[in-house]
Amino acid sequence: MRLNRPSLALAVLAVLAVAGAAFLLSSFWLFLATSAAISAIVARSVGIVTGQAGMISLCQLSFAAVGAWVVARFNLHGVPVPFLLQILIGGLAALPFGILIGLPALRLRGINLAVVTLGFAVAADIYLSRKSFPGIDTLTSVRPPAPLDEPRAYFLLCWGAFVLVSILLAVAGRSRVGSAWLAVRHSERATGAMGLSVARTKLTAFAVSAFVAGLSGGLLAGQVGLLTPQNFAPLGSLVTFAVAVMVGAQYAEGAALAGVLTAFLPELLRRLSLPLDVADFVFGLGAVDVLRRGHGGIAAQGRDKLERRRLKGALALAGARPAGRLPPPSAGRGVDAAPASLVGARLVRASPGGRPVLAVRGLTVRFGEVVALDAVDLTVEPGIVSALIGPNGAGKSTLVDAVTGFIPRYEGSIMVDGVPLDGLPVHRRVRSGVRRTFQQDRTVPNLTVGQYVRLAAGHHLPAAEVAEALEFLDCPAADYPISAVDVGSRRLVEVAGALAARPKVLLLDEPAAGLAEAESSLLARRIADVPGRFGCAVLLIEHDMAHVQAASSVVTVLDFGQVIADGAPRDVLEHRTVVAAYLGEEVAV
Amino acid sequence: MIQSAIAGLVSGGAYAALGVCVVVMQRMVGVLNFAQAAIGAFGAFVVFVLYGDGIAYAPAALAGTATAAGIAALLGLAMSTWFSEAGPRVRSTVAVAMLITLLASGFRAFGDSPRTVPEVLPGVTFTVAGVVITAASVAAITGSAAIALALWLFLSRTRTGVRLRALSERPTSAELLGIPARRLTVGVWAATGAVSALAILVIAPSRGGDFLSLSMLIVPALAAALIGLFRSLGATVAGGIGIGLLEGLATQSASIGPYRHALPLLVILAILLWSQRSQVWDAAQ
Repeated sequence: MRLNRPSLALAVLAVLAVAGAAFLLSSFWLFLATSAAISAIVARSVGIVTGQAGMISLCQLSFAAVGAWVVARFNLHGVPVPFLLQILIGGLAALPFGILIGLPALRLRGINLAVVTLGFAVAADIYLSRKSFPGIDTLTSVRPPAPLDEPRAYFLLCWGAFVLVSILLAVAGRSRVGSAWLAVRHSERATGAMGLSVARTKLTAFAVSAFVAGLSGGLLAGQVGLLTPQNFAPLGSLVTFAVAVMVGAQYAEGAALAGVLTAFLPELLRRLSLPLDVADFVFGLGAVDVLRRGHGGIAAQGRDKLERRRLKGALALAGARPAGRLPPPSAGRGVDAAPASLVGARLVRASPGGRPVLAVRGLTVRFGEVVALDAVDLTVEPGIVSALIGPNGAGKSTLVDAVTGFIPRYEGSIMVDGVPLDGLPVHRRVRSGVRRTFQQDRTVPNLTVGQYVRLAAGHHLPAAEVAEALEFLDCPAADYPISAVDVGSRRLVEVAGALAARPKVLLLDEPAAGLAEAESSLLARRIADVPGRFGCAVLLIEHDMAHVQAASSVVTVLDFGQVIADGAPRDVLEHRTVVAAYLGEEVAV
Repeated sequence: MIQSAIAGLVSGGAYAALGVCVVVMQRMVGVLNFAQAAIGAFGAFVVFVLYGDGIAYAPAALAGTATAAGIAALLGLAMSTWFSEAGPRVRSTVAVAMLITLLASGFRAFGDSPRTVPEVLPGVTFTVAGVVITAASVAAITGSAAIALALWLFLSRTRTGVRLRALSERPTSAELLGIPARRLTVGVWAATGAVSALAILVIAPSRGGDFLSLSMLIVPALAAALIGLFRSLGATVAGGIGIGLLEGLATQSASIGPYRHALPLLVILAILLWSQRSQVWDAAQ
């Protein structure tokens, strides 16, 4: 999401309004407005874990309690540390708790994480109810130093902190870290296949989120002076989570709205002589309603609307072809017209002694009683496109899964460029030079095409190289959001991303599925060009025989988990057993 | 020592029963139901109110379990109407939102102040080898084991059970086979709601009638369910009783005792770190 001029102006206006409010509000409303800022920071911290990384965290206020505890402790002992530094230290103290609680996520599965976080919230509450906060027995309240002891100044500090946190998180959100959070939310498999550690991505989200929540706790300590465990009760964490879901707290304006709702709705209810529980009721039902509609929180819906308007405008201006479809070859942009800037610059990576770039030896995979792959030997030579074909259920995708580590248990050995991969997790295999694409679209809809390619590349990529990879496959332009791109083109973007990573070998799992015939044949020619252009060998899995013949120079046929033929495409495709495997035994005999 | 262990067993039985409900919901309906204990607490509070109004315990308990079943059925209906296509993350988020809504409704309906809680089987005790055993503890343990056994038999031996398993493993195929998905789903919600109410009734006398803290018994229940890895009902029962036992024994120690209800967190962490040693890739994700 790029920040355009109107929304920047709005943001500046909002900041000015808040600053002005400091001088207009009575002390009572100022107190509530300060609470709103602090709640907004907590909501934003939920937005990181839930909105961006797609996990459930039900203990954000417990992280906040850690920050508050640290500040209270400093205050009680009169440690000569500047107040703002105390708050920062409070946030840093919450960080290891975030890592500890996120640790079970090291081995995946998001739902279990929700269980841990709720357990932590309850345990922290039990501890705090027993021990309470430092300084409670002696009624030593936290007093921020001048000028922050003045409510107006403290109010501005809290909103300033929120703005700063929001800006920093917005910057982080556009970096690789932020893109990785969105990727892990959408698909763990795709994240792993891009060479990112799923566990580390989740853990970073948790750690950053705990840090931000910890900051808010420190600010709360300075606001209320005397802290009670009720400030950080598990119910509060649950409500914070629900509100964050309702508003879409991964966006600054959503988090601000969450803060305002949390602070002012109970007051509004009080004035209407309604019971305060109604607020929680509203938040619970609001979250359910937002989830039911399935378009994200309030802020996400707003941004979607703006983005759609922007796209419509852009399309109308360009009057151009609809988002990313390969033009038919007759359009004069066939293979020969492909941008040739780097052709020749990147020659086939020389493998000393003609070493195969991918060597699979005796690969056997069992699913219970079923032998999906039975002692398969397969070699991909450098600089060529090899095809792997076979009827449905022959074990082609299983082979790709085993090579890239998605099936960790197999017999046999897998080597990429002479380096054994056995025992390595997915992201380590990917980093050692083997990339794959998926049969189903697994691109990340919340990213733009360019962000996706950069994330997939795994290293800094100049805009020219992004454009080159995209243009090679006639993908939509880099600033298109993937959510606005049709499914066929998304799969091409996925291939472009994998190519941008410059792997040693690329495994393409039915890249032409879902493409029209003309597009498919163009793609086939482009795939044939890949070794020359990107210096990587290709293992192409495909059903379409015309596609296979056009793209590859060697074909291996798999049936019932065994290699039944390999060699040049023409010879192999006419082989009796191959015909029998595809058309059924009776025809061949 | 043995005395406090037995006191812990009552809690353990309730954790086990709630844990079994959580596992059944997760397996059959695909919802990690954070509101499970709150549903039970709602039913239990209906019992407390009716009993306080002078109605006999048995009919009050019947009305309470029926209320819990009814609330659960409504929630199940909402879930299957709006979220039958949603993934586990969304469904669990919905369950959290439902928990909040239930808590708010509970405070509204029953007030924030704790209620007096009637004993299930008041005063019935017997002594074995010098240890006083309450009838409630025996009922809790045998009850939770019986629930698990009955559910296991139901799921593995009956036609409806097989249909339910089909539904949970291949929802679309099952529906195409003509299995009435929604009716079964709502049925599972209602049944687990009723069982949860009974479990909360058993544990409430030792915990006091505070709506929030009874609803938060979902945490030890989740820990028990994790011990069963959200699959095995037997292991869940054993896990629940084990956690209760551990808490009971912890009362012996002056330093750990006050924090005994935080023990489930340690159990959860240990189980997760142990059970997820190897990397698993979800086919859908």
